[in-house]
Amino acid sequence: KSPLSCSPSPMRGPLLAAAGGAMGGAGGPLARTIRAKLTAALEPTHLEVRDDSPRHGGPPGAETHFGVLVVSGHFAGLPLLQRHRLVHEALRAELAGPLHALQVITRTPEQWQSDPHASPPPPCLGGSKREQRHR
Amino acid sequence: PVVVFMKGSPAQPLCGFSNAVVQILRLHGVEDYRAHDVLQDPDLRQGIKNYSNWPTIPQVYLNGEFVGGCDILLQMHQNGDLVEELKKLGIRSALLDAEKDQEKK
Repeated sequence: KSPLSCSPSPMRGPLLAAAGGAMGGAGGPLARTIRAKLTAALEPTHLEVRDDSPRHGGPPGAETHFGVLVVSGHFAGLPLLQRHRLVHEALRAELAGPLHALQVITRTPEQWQSDPHASPPPPCLGGSKREQRHR
Repeated sequence: PVVVFMKGSPAQPLCGFSNAVVQILRLHGVEDYRAHDVLQDPDLRQGIKNYSNWPTIPQVYLNGEFVGGCDILLQMHQNGDLVEELKKLGIRSALLDAEKDQEKK
């Protein structure tokens, strides 16, 4: 449906283009909420929000599994655990609700400038859906 | 010293993020750890999230201290912090031996 974008960053791809990450605005309602809350809480210099739900058996637009890449000066001097807690705090309501999984990558602006790459998420292995089939 | 709350078991992880934790630990030669399958116990699944104030599974604990989930463990592995943390627990990472082998060549 959405055109493949030929972009060098490994985080980009058809899903991100569909979520409107580069264009800043499109994507499902949860994607927009995530983007808005992270922007308000962490004032990122760079932000990517990715709906990974299709990779986990959900239909496109399911909005259950997300990955976020947040580049923010707020992370300076903070250990990884504290950085991730800041992200979780901003998305507390969503994590208590429809957001089932969240991959989080945090960088300070300096870290991102020196290494603008992020590892892709691990492949889905089925989760509780698979567990039920075994029974 | 190493405790993991995950989906499935180390022999058969049922979630990509839980599997990532198992694989990273395996790379460091850490195979002898307590693994709790939260899919077997809904009370445990919610309880451990309340305990650590962390919303997702997997969760990694080193010497009773919550360290983080799969993303954090991966970054610790990539930047060398995991080798150091294991050393504090008296666990010598297998990757140190791998490096030594490389130096011999």
